[in-house]
Amino acid sequence: MTTGTPKEVITAAALTAPSARAQERPTNVLIVGVGGQGVIMISKVIALLCERQDLDVKQSEVHGMSKRGGSVFSHLRFGQRVYSPTIPIGEADVLVALEWAEGLRWLPFLNPETGTFLADTQQLIPPFSCRSRKPGAVTNYARHTVAEVAGKVPNCFATDASRMAAELGNARAANTILLGMLSTALDFPEQEWLTVIEQLVPKKTIGANLRAFAAGRTWVEQHDPAAMHAEAPAVFPAAADLGDYVARSAPEINAAWCKGCEICVKFCPERCLFMNDRQVAELKDPDLCTRCRVCERLCPDFAITLHRLDA
Amino acid sequence: MTEAPAPEFVIREYLREHLMPHFLCPGCGHGIALRALLWAVHELGITKDRLAIVSGIGCSGRIGAYVDANTFHVTHGRPLAFATGLKLARPDLEVVVITGDGDCLAIGGNHLIHACRRNLNITCMMLNNEVYGMTGGQVSPTTSNSRYTTTTPLGNFEPTFDACALAEGAGAGFVGREITLQTPALKNLLREGLAYPGFAFIEVISDCTEIYGRKNDLGNSAEMVLSQKAAARPDVYTNSVDRPFRPNQLRTGVLARKDRPEYAAARQRHLQSLGNVE
Ligand code: SF4
Ligand code: SF4
Repeated sequence: MTTGTPKEVITAAALTAPSARAQERPTNVLIVGVGGQGVIMISKVIALLCERQDLDVKQSEVHGMSKRGGSVFSHLRFGQRVYSPTIPIGEADVLVALEWAEGLRWLPFLNPETGTFLADTQQLIPPFSCRSRKPGAVTNYARHTVAEVAGKVPNCFATDASRMAAELGNARAANTILLGMLSTALDFPEQEWLTVIEQLVPKKTIGANLRAFAAGRTWVEQHDPAAMHAEAPAVFPAAADLGDYVARSAPEINAAWCKGCEICVKFCPERCLFMNDRQVAELKDPDLCTRCRVCERLCPDFAITLHRLDA
Repeated sequence: MTEAPAPEFVIREYLREHLMPHFLCPGCGHGIALRALLWAVHELGITKDRLAIVSGIGCSGRIGAYVDANTFHVTHGRPLAFATGLKLARPDLEVVVITGDGDCLAIGGNHLIHACRRNLNITCMMLNNEVYGMTGGQVSPTTSNSRYTTTTPLGNFEPTFDACALAEGAGAGFVGREITLQTPALKNLLREGLAYPGFAFIEVISDCTEIYGRKNDLGNSAEMVLSQKAAARPDVYTNSVDRPFRPNQLRTGVLARKDRPEYAAARQRHLQSLGNVE
């Protein structure tokens, strides 16, 4: 999104006068998340705000892989003059992360002296970080806790905005909570934010979005970034917790009921069943079983049981 | 997520275990359909005392007998008629009819259309395996074109019934279709049907491996179950898939849902208007 400023010729003199140019330095906001969270909506709000203030604004986004929870980001720069639409590494004044690991991935773009990191601690674990398909298994998802990150960035505000939004009655308004948080870091009047939000969100959700905005704004006002160290760290299952998992989980096959149709053998995604020489299904390798229950659900003879884990 | 999870579904708790293993052939899809039905019953918290299963004649009719609930195994084609009487006499029961393509569409065709018309609060699960399996593999109203059966040794040429379209046309309030391979989806559909306050007609695409499959060289059980997937066109696939490459694809999912007066309530209102309250 670009507002019309006629292209100017940059003279050599202008390039060699850093102090004068520094004052004109645009404000850089980097918004990151995964598909469907509303990254683009946040950048639209800011872009519209800037236009209403007669500021020059440029936005550049990538959302190609977003449909299935892939990465989405949007660079947004505004000021008196903006030349390039992308933010150089280390120069983002604010990094808004709608998903925790995405935020961590983009941290190098944050200004190491003055940057503000606003994050939703919600974790959307991508399938490829799950090497083992067993429920509760250890994933390769980022292990950094809020406290660790808060110790390394100048200003860190991280909260479970998705849960806050859900508690407010609309889990999809998490991005508006982040907008509310962001409104404390940028110098625009509050009323301007509200007007733009009302203009951009679907009519039915105006109320929910305004409530979410207010919640985000108040949350930042009530939190001292220093206190972020004390915020509860994200919980990860330790490998040791999985202990005797496999022994309890393997399906039991009732040989007396099995009629040897082979459905379970053919459909087991882990190939852990086989037909023995009496044409009865048998478990080949209990270690491979992920308790997906495909065999249990498709056995027409109810011969397979996956026992309750809580017993 | 925060509420305590309901006890997991364990099918043995709903079976008459002394009758197991059941009489169905290896790989018969009816077993999978029965699991889905009991799973839906479990999720809705319907107790076994409150569940009444009425079934007709045929492989489909026999499976009701394995359920540890109130079960009635009635005459050929008439389960809907029996169920109508049962539901009117005992409205507190959750009445489910299990029937087959021959039982429901041929011998009991008249009962089906009138049950649809009345819209009494019962659920009818019709297992469609395209053949009369129990009686030796005769042609049924849903046998596909050019298939061999004992009564169509030269291949079937009769047009088939679209059972769901028939039920919808006759006025059923809720109509759905699902394949057995998608057991959780089938369970959800049955659950929706059971919860629907009116006549719910659900067609389950089942497979007859031993008689129909063998005669028509349709492969082993796993292949027959898998072929259902190729034929199905779930209702969530709209737009691009709405114009299918293969025009014969079966629409699955909820096909119709109407807001019609329920029969027992309408009857009650009618009696009241006559000052003749039961
Ligand atoms: S639950 Fe059954 S189908 Fe799934 S992995 Fe285990 S044995 Fe295979
Ligand atoms: S699906 Fe059931 S009946 Fe068929 S081979 Fe497996 S255990 Fe046996």
